[in-house]
Amino acid sequence: MPSRTGSHRPASFGSSLPERALLLVLVLVFLQGSVLPLGAASSPDVSHQDKTDNHKVEAQGHNYTKKAFPVLSIDYHYIQTPFEISLWVLLASLMKLGFHLIPRLSSIVPESCLLIVVGLLVGGLIKLAGEQVPPVMNTRLFFLCLLPPIILDAGYFLPIRPFMENLGTILMFAVVGTLWNAFFIGGLLYAVCQIQPDNPSSLHQIELLPCLLFGSIISAVDPVAVLAVFEEIHINELLHILVFGESLLNDAVTVVLYHLFEEYSGIGTVSVLDGFLGVISFLVVALGGVLVGAIYGILAAFTSRFTSHTRVIEPLFVFVYSYMAYLSAEMFHLSGIMALIACGAVMRPYVEANISHKSHTTIKYFLKMWSSVSETLIFIFLGVATVDGPHNWNWTFVTVTVILCLVARVIGVVGLTYVINKFRIVKLTTKDQFIVAYGGLRGAIAFSLGFLLDPAHFAMREMFLTAIITVIFFTVFVQGMTIKPLVELLAVKKKQEAKRSINEEIHTQFLDHLLTGIEDICGHYGHHHWKDKLNRFNKKYVKKCLIAGERSKEPQLIAFYHKMEMKQAIELVESGGGVKLPAAMPSTVSMQNIQPKKPPPALPPERALPQLSKGREEEIRKILRSNLQRTRQRLRSYNRHTLVADPYEDGLNDFLIKKQKIIELEKKITEMNNYLTVPSAPPDSPTITRARLASDPQAYSVKPTSDSVPTIQVDLASPQSPDSVNLMDEFRNARQPEQDEDRGLMMKPPSEAKGPKRPEDAEGAKDQQRLMRCLSDPGPSADEDEDEPFLP
Amino acid sequence: MKISPAHIIRLYDRFEFLDKEGSGQLRLEDFAEVKELAMNPIGDRIIGAFFSPGQETVDFPSFVRILAHFRPTDKNRAKDSTQPEPVNSRTSKLKFAFQLYDQDRDGKISRAELLQVLREMLGMQVTEEQLESIADRAIQEADLDRDDAISFEEFRKSLEKVNIEHKMSIRFLR
Repeated sequence: MPSRTGSHRPASFGSSLPERALLLVLVLVFLQGSVLPLGAASSPDVSHQDKTDNHKVEAQGHNYTKKAFPVLSIDYHYIQTPFEISLWVLLASLMKLGFHLIPRLSSIVPESCLLIVVGLLVGGLIKLAGEQVPPVMNTRLFFLCLLPPIILDAGYFLPIRPFMENLGTILMFAVVGTLWNAFFIGGLLYAVCQIQPDNPSSLHQIELLPCLLFGSIISAVDPVAVLAVFEEIHINELLHILVFGESLLNDAVTVVLYHLFEEYSGIGTVSVLDGFLGVISFLVVALGGVLVGAIYGILAAFTSRFTSHTRVIEPLFVFVYSYMAYLSAEMFHLSGIMALIACGAVMRPYVEANISHKSHTTIKYFLKMWSSVSETLIFIFLGVATVDGPHNWNWTFVTVTVILCLVARVIGVVGLTYVINKFRIVKLTTKDQFIVAYGGLRGAIAFSLGFLLDPAHFAMREMFLTAIITVIFFTVFVQGMTIKPLVELLAVKKKQEAKRSINEEIHTQFLDHLLTGIEDICGHYGHHHWKDKLNRFNKKYVKKCLIAGERSKEPQLIAFYHKMEMKQAIELVESGGGVKLPAAMPSTVSMQNIQPKKPPPALPPERALPQLSKGREEEIRKILRSNLQRTRQRLRSYNRHTLVADPYEDGLNDFLIKKQKIIELEKKITEMNNYLTVPSAPPDSPTITRARLASDPQAYSVKPTSDSVPTIQVDLASPQSPDSVNLMDEFRNARQPEQDEDRGLMMKPPSEAKGPKRPEDAEGAKDQQRLMRCLSDPGPSADEDEDEPFLP
Repeated sequence: MKISPAHIIRLYDRFEFLDKEGSGQLRLEDFAEVKELAMNPIGDRIIGAFFSPGQETVDFPSFVRILAHFRPTDKNRAKDSTQPEPVNSRTSKLKFAFQLYDQDRDGKISRAELLQVLREMLGMQVTEEQLESIADRAIQEADLDRDDAISFEEFRKSLEKVNIEHKMSIRFLR
């Protein structure tokens, strides 16, 4: 582990008082650390040895002179390594926090640039302090620890449909484009290096093969940089997937070229046979990587089938299998990135069908968290390593490299697009081409590969590194900063934010079938035909193996519908939302009908009612009023920074039963009055007035048109709402006898789970089994106590 | 961008292949011969779309005319309001799809029609109540004028984010 001596966190703009206090503490700790004698590599053994020595000395000392018992002592060595790692991570995270406190800065300058600057500062400060900059850009650290989370995050959440639709284009860019870049840059660089007869510089000594090696290192578009920059510009899906997909898939090419040239640059020549072997090697690397990933993905999916009783460790399987896929691929020198992508993409549909809702959330947020931290660290380290690395600045070499990179990229993209457009249905316009070319950012992977070069074989390693760093800086700073205004200027289509509606889903499936049919009539085995075949195969065989229980038979549309309903219910609860009238009857889906009727599961122990404050009451009334005017409202999109609250899932079960009863009642009502939708109850309908009069009811009411129709009211934490209670009794009496377990929607003080949730969750998924999945996740035992009631 | 002669020849070859009797016209049975269509949930609708109302056979021009809907859109076409909308424009494609839903040609997709489509697509795996709730929800989302049916405009609006030009095009027919 790299040792860090003194490190000084630069004053972060926008830090508040607590942060400054933290900063102070950090500084103090570091000062302490710098006092202790730290060598270049302090291994735990050494520190342990120190400790034993100390003990011995102390013991001896103890014999001679009785020292005072050390009440407080500092032993930095003991915790040094994990402490430093934690400090780096903390620094990265605090930086991220800090940037967002300054709104204008983060909209002008992409985060990656700021982080590199921070890294430069930190590195500079370390150097100023006279200490040795830790070799943080250790290649193994980078490739084994920092890169995988980012790639896994990207692969797991890869939008499969656009990726597959554009796969041909992406492959062309990734493979042919990278090859073109590598050879063009390498070749021209060599030529340039040779043409300096007057000034015999060190450039002359560079052979062709090292140049080509350099070309191959520098030509690869970097997924980390692309992700970092493109995340912020919200470009449309097509362009995003093109550039991003290219950055992922060119890893195979890079790996092969790198190894090929590295192997043979010592020898100096590459024969045709080697070239041919290189091509075969490329196929092996790429396909092998994908295969390894797919195997692990299927294993993970299969494992997740059996996790219904041990929900807590479900996320672990996803992470561990993916990481092992990466490591296995790296072991065979296959493309680890492609393995990781394949693993994530393959396992996702099946794993998501199997795991509980909580696990899904866990996976999502862990991946986002790790990848975020990794990315931050990578950029900071890049800055630090820049300050550190021995540099060999050669004007010619560096400037020619930068220019060649740009030129090669542009020519490559334009040329390839010309060819690709002949085969595409939706052609790439000039604007698209420009963005694709401009988005070809280089990043840390190039640097690490350069770092990996053996100084013994490559005397010009430093020069290479300098050039690589310059290119990286150029692309990240210049291109990264200007791409956003350019996107605005060129009016490139942006990403469409809204969620997929059920209409889109239905119609898209319909169109899929339609196109498959038309293709069959034409006798044309096109895109749709194969997709349809794959889907059929998937449904028939694969899903049965990999998805547990009944879910394997669930059609995709239903699954989508459920997810949507569930999400909406949860969002409604989270937004402190109001009531949905039973008008939104559509959600009368009772999934109990698919499966054999299960007896209603035992209800969870009742909780005490929350008491309401006055302010809260007012809020609820307001919400009631506003929501009753609209039917199914479009909720704001799921905020990625808020977690799904757990407590609701337990009550959802109750809810289902209650809801079912309400639905049956409503059916009766509609039969009576033939009115299906309750568009909006005017705010002063008798129901609501009554609702307002009784203390804080949250009315879940059906607009009555005849007296025989009872009004269902759900009362909040108010024990004293006599009408409601009566109504409920009425309701109960009007219905079938099997209502024993139905404690009604009423919140009678000692009993009742959370009433307020019910109306909201009425929209929730009625999937009994799905709920079972949610509920069957016991979680750590402290969970029960930690659950907060909805209303504080 | 006219359809090229090579394409027409290809389509004619296919037409002849399907026309087992050699009568120069395709009948329902000819279409039913295509095996994969039998497995297609909406196969019958698609076949029905080829036949104009009241007709029992499809001749080659009609065959091509229907398939022309699926040619890739010419994005660079100047928006000329005097000329009729080409048959492979986005609107025309959507209209074609709309008509597949709207079997009774009243210009709206009623709840029953939507239910029918859902029933065909989801088949036996789903209960009637689920279908109804999905249909209800779909109508609720798309129905802006509250007539409990989806008009063509509403249909078009609900699909505004979907890349119809890509989705409803077959390269074969370029």
